[in-house]
Amino acid sequence: MKFATPDAAKPRRVRHSEAMILFCIANQTFAIAADAVQEIRSTDSLGGSAIEIEQAELPKVRHLVERARRTYYVVSGCAHFGLRVTRPTLVLILRQIRAAVLVDSIERMAEVSKIHPLPRGFEGEERKWYRGLTYLEDRVIPVIHPGGFLTVEEFARLDQAAAVSGATQQMEGAVQG
Amino acid sequence: MSAVEQGSKRSYVLLHVGNRRFALRSESVEELAPPVRLHHFPHTTALVAGVIVRRGRIVPVYDVAPVLCGRESSVHRFYLVARRNFGTESEASAIPVNGECELANGEIQPTMAGDPDYFSGSLNVGDEKIQVLNLEALVSSDATADDPARPAELRQ
Repeated sequence: MKFATPDAAKPRRVRHSEAMILFCIANQTFAIAADAVQEIRSTDSLGGSAIEIEQAELPKVRHLVERARRTYYVVSGCAHFGLRVTRPTLVLILRQIRAAVLVDSIERMAEVSKIHPLPRGFEGEERKWYRGLTYLEDRVIPVIHPGGFLTVEEFARLDQAAAVSGATQQMEGAVQG
Repeated sequence: MSAVEQGSKRSYVLLHVGNRRFALRSESVEELAPPVRLHHFPHTTALVAGVIVRRGRIVPVYDVAPVLCGRESSVHRFYLVARRNFGTESEASAIPVNGECELANGEIQPTMAGDPDYFSGSLNVGDEKIQVLNLEALVSSDATADDPARPAELRQ
């Protein structure tokens, strides 16, 4: 026999929150889910391993890096969001997609309990860029949709350009050798 | 005034944008918000100046002064929050105004040939003819598509 307790009758309010990384590009703060980021490296540490893509398929992607036998395309955050050009110091290597993003700085980590949908009044590219908006300490901060950095078509074009670039470099190496 | 005449008249909120007065149907208007902080972030939507936070909601702000007055409005801004329809749904949307809003009743007169489609008619208030705004048409991309003064660069 079970006795109902006052506690059992109370509906439990579970407040879900999500760990976010707040980062800056050109003085603009963005949030990205910490789970979506595999690694944060300084641009200096990647300098040696970054390979320039000779054919400029996409102006926002000029380099690729090889990490754990995967090719990551390095997206300029400034170019992607149409912000003024700055000197990025960090690169966020994303987890689920083969993209890395150049950013100026990491602001801090934050727990976000609510992501507001992007108002429908926003009708442009930003609908792909953002999962929504969060209101944190009197600031509205866009929450990044990691899949919005590069489309499937853009990946295909970059893969093709990277293959051509790699073949050219191999040929040049063979001629020099 | 007879009950029939009263019934045919609607209520409108008169608002100042730049140095001109316009009207919006009062049933679409939610509130006149104080000059709260306008938040910016990168986007590509024409006319959207940013967002404000009102009553726990994030409300897009449409800077309609360039469309209605041909230039940016420099006056201190309040925000008139009205519902913008998206098919069967609607969303709170804000327009910067100079704060002097009033309520008026009147019968809408049809638009004149050549009027932009963001005017749904006009009201006669005293000696003044005040254009009634169609918010959906005004803030849609089409309203600014032919405006060379607004290049499609990214906005923040």
